Amino acid sequence: MSIEEPISKNAPRVKMPIADALRSIQRPKFMGITFDDAMHYFFRGNATVSILVLFLIILFLFKEGGEFFGQNTQNLEIYRKAGLEYVDIVRSRVDDHRSLERFLGDIRIQEFKNQNENAEALAAFDASVERFSAAIDGYQGFVSEYADIAKELKEKYKVGLDLEVAKKNFQKEGKFEESSKIEIPVVDFEAETKVYRDSLTQFKALNETYQAEVQSIVDSFPPMPTAELQPRLDKFRDLVKIQRDNVAKLEGDLLLWDWKKPVGWSESFTSFVFGRNWLTASFWQDWYGIVPLFVGSLMIAVTAILIAVPFAIGAAIYVNQVASAREQNIIKPYIEFVSAVPSVVWGFFGIAVVGQLIRTFSEQGVVSWVPFFPISERLNIATASCLLAIMAIPTIFSLAEDAIQNVPKAYTESSLALGATKFQTIWIIMIPSALSGIVSAIILGLGRVIGETMVVLLCSGGRIKIPDFSSGLGALFQPVHTMTGIIAQEMGEVVNGSIHYRALFMVGIVLFFISLALNYAAQQVVKRYKISIG
Amino acid sequence: MSITLEKSANQTKKEAAMSTSSLINPSMESMMSETKPKPIIEIDNVDFYYGASKALHGISLNIEPKKVTAFIGPSGCGKSTLLRCINRMNDLVDVARVGAGQFRISGVDIYHPSVDVIELRKRVGMVFQKSNPFPKSIYENIVYGLRIQGVSDKKVLDEVVEKSLRGAALWEEVKDRLHDSALGLSGGQMQRICIARAIAVEPEIILMDEPCSALDPIATAKVEELIHELKNKFTIVIVTHNMQQAGRCSDQTAFFYLGKLIEMDNTEKIFTNPKQQQTEDYITGRFG
Repeated sequence: MSIEEPISKNAPRVKMPIADALRSIQRPKFMGITFDDAMHYFFRGNATVSILVLFLIILFLFKEGGEFFGQNTQNLEIYRKAGLEYVDIVRSRVDDHRSLERFLGDIRIQEFKNQNENAEALAAFDASVERFSAAIDGYQGFVSEYADIAKELKEKYKVGLDLEVAKKNFQKEGKFEESSKIEIPVVDFEAETKVYRDSLTQFKALNETYQAEVQSIVDSFPPMPTAELQPRLDKFRDLVKIQRDNVAKLEGDLLLWDWKKPVGWSESFTSFVFGRNWLTASFWQDWYGIVPLFVGSLMIAVTAILIAVPFAIGAAIYVNQVASAREQNIIKPYIEFVSAVPSVVWGFFGIAVVGQLIRTFSEQGVVSWVPFFPISERLNIATASCLLAIMAIPTIFSLAEDAIQNVPKAYTESSLALGATKFQTIWIIMIPSALSGIVSAIILGLGRVIGETMVVLLCSGGRIKIPDFSSGLGALFQPVHTMTGIIAQEMGEVVNGSIHYRALFMVGIVLFFISLALNYAAQQVVKRYKISIG
Repeated sequence: MSITLEKSANQTKKEAAMSTSSLINPSMESMMSETKPKPIIEIDNVDFYYGASKALHGISLNIEPKKVTAFIGPSGCGKSTLLRCINRMNDLVDVARVGAGQFRISGVDIYHPSVDVIELRKRVGMVFQKSNPFPKSIYENIVYGLRIQGVSDKKVLDEVVEKSLRGAALWEEVKDRLHDSALGLSGGQMQRICIARAIAVEPEIILMDEPCSALDPIATAKVEELIHELKNKFTIVIVTHNMQQAGRCSDQTAFFYLGKLIEMDNTEKIFTNPKQQQTEDYITGRFG
């Protein structure tokens, strides 16, 4: 058989000699590339596109969010220049006084009960309370008077700023004629804020009256009819003393205030990161502080995880170690099915059932010993947490079950062969060996829960306020708002490019970093403690 | 090099033994069998099933105390299954069950409902084919068996660790790093850790399921030496694929084929003068 002999198509089974095959066989090519190459480029293209898209999204996020700080600086600048800050310094003390009044009110409720709801016995007490309440009236008037002035000044300044923007826009579009027509009124802050500096004399007089009045009220406060409540009244006296000293310091604070003091980026940054208020579309001043939202998200997520972990890990251990094959076949798909339920359905269920259930439970006589029961809000941290826990269970369960599954069977076997019971084997060998996987499962579950939107939006109550931790665990039954919830709720309504819009993007960026950090942490845990050493 | 030398030395020893045994007349042999000690493990006509398939067919054999008994046979002949029946590790397999017959240890039927399987496993230790120390320190590995029994006295534990590691001929190698992870040791050391772990609870019987199959020749030699030592204190049952190993370190050898016990006798006898043709064929490498 000669090498040159062509291979007959009718006899494909005849094998080509090796030398021939090596030389002559060519893969089919289209425009110079083989099928394998084409596949290679196709998948590489896919990967590149997804990375690129992801990168662009992140870039967009940062671009939109980043401008927030500039705008917030301006926002705070108006606050200072127009004297709103000045008024707020006084207002904060007025608020402190009001909270002391509430403290007295609490004492009164107690006393009222002790006196079998006999108001007459409380007459002396009530008179003092009224006097205390009236003591701040002078300041109250001061605040409302200057608040009006500040608001007016703010409007004036804002008009100027808006005109400036309009002028710039005209210039950008090349309409110089129109732009030159716009006259920007110049606000003379030095002159305008003189009124504040002048107020100091009025303030001094107010202060003297207040100090004297408060002192006399405290001195003449009648003793409590019930001796048990006396310590609380003494506590009130101490608090009043602090308040009095704080008010005395006000003058110094007001002297320090200066409209010219520049607002720096750091101030803009801290007012976002450490700001305790998220207040938008306000008549007075908008605040974009992430703390209440962050605390809300964190409390809900952590509580949800605390609820979910025992169930999820317990179920994972049971299914993997104890359950019969038949039970496994029922439980596993069942738990995983939970994650197929849309989150809005859970939210709906939360509003209709869980919230009501928790409130009804808190109203039962059996639990009346709990200090913060009955609860007033149906939708609160606990409601949202319960639902998020249900949603987190499949995630944690599946990952933890995988982790337990990955523990070599040899460990279990040799432990049992040494005479360990099943429980000992699970507790001393299984769980420590699977711990890295279990911990990362919990971290990923936390990530899942923090990023969840629909349930928290529907079930967390939507009150933007840091919960009051003074009642301990009672804080869990207060409504909050969350980072995800606020974005979902407000994004649709904000003006594109406004400071509020930017602030929401900043919240998104914070969420992005939290998720990133949690995922990274989960990876590190698995990597570093792959096999834990006990 | 040294291994081959050792092997040949062993062989010559065996040949010598063979020649002496052939010199002993039949009456003397029967006399010796009468003085045989009472068996510690009695396996009595056992059938064993995995689901519907029968893995062991009517196995009966006795294992003597303080001796090494080797189970040999081709893959899938049921020798490991039989071994794992002795400490009831087969209980972990859902479909596995003993169909008929009895396993008795010192006369007690270990499959009787009143027998506590945890206690059984404390008394019948096991060393597995793949060395499987726990992902814990060497120290914790050794004391695990005691800890689960509730021993927490540091002095006792320290003592047991040293004793067990010395018993496993490992003390000198690891005494300075008792609190390092056991997973950082070599394969042979890990297997000896497992042996030390098994002897720490002072069982009567140690089952070894191909303990050297994943070890290199030097580590194998060390483990075999160790088995020789342990024989003074424990009854050892060893499953092995390695015929030389069975010849080197066992006193009794049982040959299994297709779930049946073909022949069991003194090791010398099995290796030099088996009664059954099948045994001879297997030992000489004609099949298997």
